[in-house]
Amino acid sequence: MTRLGFDPLLPWPVLAALAVLALAVAGWAAWNGLKGWAFRGLAILAAALALAVPVIQSGIRLALSDIVILLDDRSASQSLPGRPGQTDAALDELTARIEALPNTEIRRVTVGDDDAGSLLGQAMTRAIAAEPDSRLAGVIAVTDGLAHDPAMIPAQVPAPVHVLLTGQPADWDRRLVIEEAPAFAIIGQPVTIRVRVQDQGAVPAEIQGTPALLSLSVDGQVAQSLAAPPDQSLELQFVPEHAGQNVVRVGFAAPQSDPAELTDRNNSAAIQIQGVRDRLRVLLVSGEPHAGERTWRNLLKSDTNVDLIHFTILRSPDNMDPVPVDEMSLIAFPTRELFMERIKDFDLIIFDRYSVRGILPPEYYLNIQHYVEEGGALLVSAGPEMATVQSLNLSPLGGILPAMPTGRVLDGAFLPQLTDEGQRHPVTSGLSGAPTGAEGEDHWGRWLRMSQARARPGAQVVLSGRDDQPLLVLDRVGQGRVAQLTSDQVWLWGRGFEGGGPQLELLRRIAHWSMKEPELEEETLLADVGRDLRVTVTRRTMQDEAGPITITGPDGSQSELPLTEAGPGRFTATWQAPGPGIYQLRDGEVSRVLALGPAAPREFEQTVAGGDAFRAVTEATRGAIMNLSDGVPAVRTVRPDRDAHGEGMTGDWIAITPRDAASVAGLTHRPLLPGWAWLALIAGLALAGWLSEGRARLRGAQG
Amino acid sequence: MIRLLLAIAVVVLSLTAPLRAQDGDPDPRLVRAADEVALAYVVTGDPRIDEGSEAGLRGLSGELIRRTTVRPGEPIGIDLDQDDLSLLTFLYWPVTDDQPAPSPQAYVRLNHFLRSGGMILFDTRDGDIAGLGGPDGQASLQALAAPLDILPLAPVPHDHVLTRSFYLLQDFPGRWQGNQIWAEAPRADATAVEGVPFRTLNDGVSPVIIGPNAWAEAWAVDRRGNPMFTVGSGFDGQRQREMAMRFGINLIMYVLTGNYKSDQVHVPALLDRLRGEEGIR
Repeated sequence: MTRLGFDPLLPWPVLAALAVLALAVAGWAAWNGLKGWAFRGLAILAAALALAVPVIQSGIRLALSDIVILLDDRSASQSLPGRPGQTDAALDELTARIEALPNTEIRRVTVGDDDAGSLLGQAMTRAIAAEPDSRLAGVIAVTDGLAHDPAMIPAQVPAPVHVLLTGQPADWDRRLVIEEAPAFAIIGQPVTIRVRVQDQGAVPAEIQGTPALLSLSVDGQVAQSLAAPPDQSLELQFVPEHAGQNVVRVGFAAPQSDPAELTDRNNSAAIQIQGVRDRLRVLLVSGEPHAGERTWRNLLKSDTNVDLIHFTILRSPDNMDPVPVDEMSLIAFPTRELFMERIKDFDLIIFDRYSVRGILPPEYYLNIQHYVEEGGALLVSAGPEMATVQSLNLSPLGGILPAMPTGRVLDGAFLPQLTDEGQRHPVTSGLSGAPTGAEGEDHWGRWLRMSQARARPGAQVVLSGRDDQPLLVLDRVGQGRVAQLTSDQVWLWGRGFEGGGPQLELLRRIAHWSMKEPELEEETLLADVGRDLRVTVTRRTMQDEAGPITITGPDGSQSELPLTEAGPGRFTATWQAPGPGIYQLRDGEVSRVLALGPAAPREFEQTVAGGDAFRAVTEATRGAIMNLSDGVPAVRTVRPDRDAHGEGMTGDWIAITPRDAASVAGLTHRPLLPGWAWLALIAGLALAGWLSEGRARLRGAQG
Repeated sequence: MIRLLLAIAVVVLSLTAPLRAQDGDPDPRLVRAADEVALAYVVTGDPRIDEGSEAGLRGLSGELIRRTTVRPGEPIGIDLDQDDLSLLTFLYWPVTDDQPAPSPQAYVRLNHFLRSGGMILFDTRDGDIAGLGGPDGQASLQALAAPLDILPLAPVPHDHVLTRSFYLLQDFPGRWQGNQIWAEAPRADATAVEGVPFRTLNDGVSPVIIGPNAWAEAWAVDRRGNPMFTVGSGFDGQRQREMAMRFGINLIMYVLTGNYKSDQVHVPALLDRLRGEEGIR
């Protein structure tokens, strides 16, 4: 590369003034008839030129290759049957064709799966930004066109962008769309899940318009099924039955047709709905004011989620009091309303030192029994009245109470002990301060009195008291639960007698166990999902051993996971899930459904290939969106201002635009004439002017 | 001298084995207090006053048994320096001028007792003759109560649950009447939420009640059930003694049931809500 340049010694205006001066001088000379006018003007012009210092610039230029970005989409949606092979073949052929072009390099960019889906736009933007604009000759993406970041697709690219779509013209898919699903729901109240069955692509005629048979299963149990016509929103009702995670799976079987739909992985979705209790309503009935009554009140009133309805029998029919009623602050106990009409509204009924005094008629007790059998919770904290004829056990309610009194009150201090069952039972296991029998340990305080009782067969004795008599007995009755304490002295723990004990925690656990809190179930399978689909499985059981856990994967495959004992009644294991999906963990009767990863994989939202997301950029850069099912297009080169695709004799072609980019490696300046030559030129011109004029004058004088 | 040695021994013992002495059976009197909700009084060392306290609590216990479902056993005298308070629920503490202050160990136990749900009734028994009108009027009370861990006090308001925990009361008479009595002030940040005084872990029950009305003497009966001290005169005196008894019953109900009565105001509303929700379902 060589060219002429200037390296002026004076600013350009000065030189221009000099040039104007030269013309003016020449003009004046010509006007006066001076013969040397041309030489005079040229001399001054030459001086101006010399001051502008013309130079010869010569550089060393290196030609650069053109760059073609080849975007290789390997996200999960590209793994549908036939697509990986199609992609590989297309990439190989394109690579060969591009490499056949002179002076062209390929930058291959592979896009994998991200948690957020296929980030094709981001990958394209990054790849383009990494290359110099002046060398970019083309971008070719081999993809199914599914980009989860359409906003990141660049709007303007200095070279043609081509999108080559995988898939076949006959591709079609039917998928399930969850339009709306709640994350939380109140137990026992129906929630609505809105879904739609959507058809995409070339749906075969025999499938078009036929309904899909939707089934809804809750925690692995099929709950309902119904026919859902395609492309219509449908509302499914679901009633969460328990607190904690309710895994709802909605799905339909793949329709039978030829060709089959692209994938059945988007035919179902798992929705996790957290069941929460409405405000808990607790009915506390204290038979008499006693030292432990405020313990119950403190427990129940410190929980703002509890509506406590409390009645204490302050005066019984056998009390004598002459004081007029209007000077007393007593209200009648609305027994009929509480025990007959409203009983179903309570989540828990607590009888605290209640003695039968003829206040409640027998049918009320029977109604409480029905309440428990139908799923209610009853907790009895019995004082010494348990051993008397006023015992609740001798009322009709006695039929469901788990501890049967012998009629003896055991006076004297004793240390509540966890039984073997109590070590394992979630109500008592892990209570702080439990005596272990070790020498010199710091354990909870003693109680001073209990009633002797025998546990009903089948009931669980979790705490024992004096002479290993049952102290806390738990039992299931029908669908409900009953807990009974045979002593009323749990308040001594709260008072700190001999150091006290975990009184609030124990009472809280008893209450929540009786209300079927999932965390306090005896036989449970808990799964904590950690990072990267690592699952910590905890099996709690009353048995001596447990496991192995049978894991059924989303594809129906089964594997076994052995458990190791982590404590009494606790067995754990960690498990790495192979991928997202719905897994069922089962150990005998206990099972748990686990939904890992997103509710419905984003990758399969759009399975029929389509390049709409790239339409704007391909049009802006004169590129093309083509289907690979029509064959891999030929690759040509065109000028940047021409369409970069078209149809040729042998089929479609796409083009790249060679940029003829180069880099300059060095630059030299050489003056056009050396200084002395300029001096000679100017002097020569001036001399020539002078001589011509002088000679003319000489000749004129002679004539 | 023996007394001094004993006191030293108690202090040494309680230092080496604080609170957690599980050897042997606890004091049978205290076990009875826990089992029977027996009322307890502080033994002051003045036989006349201690006798009055015991008789007063005996009289109150008798009336409780007669009129309510509470069945307290025989009253128990408490030696603050020796007895474990964690088995007690209610402690009557007559304040006398020449009462020796309890040991520091005893104050540790007293503070724990107050924090864990116990209650002390301080009775200055002077009817506030000095007319000071405040709980800090009496130097001896001040000296005794200073080491106790109690929040600021306030006069018991006319709508306090003490005025309706069993009987409806306007005044809290003992042998004296018409005097202000004091309880722990409700916390400023938690007052008047729908009329419920406040929700704290202790159900908002004041751990101390302080007054000058010489209640034990008004409640006191001898072994045959006859009043031991004169209260007022004639019919008015009878009435005052009855009202003193009613205060005693209200007080024990407050000790045992806390704010139960002030919550009961809301029971109709809660039941109404249940009805309303049923209507919606």
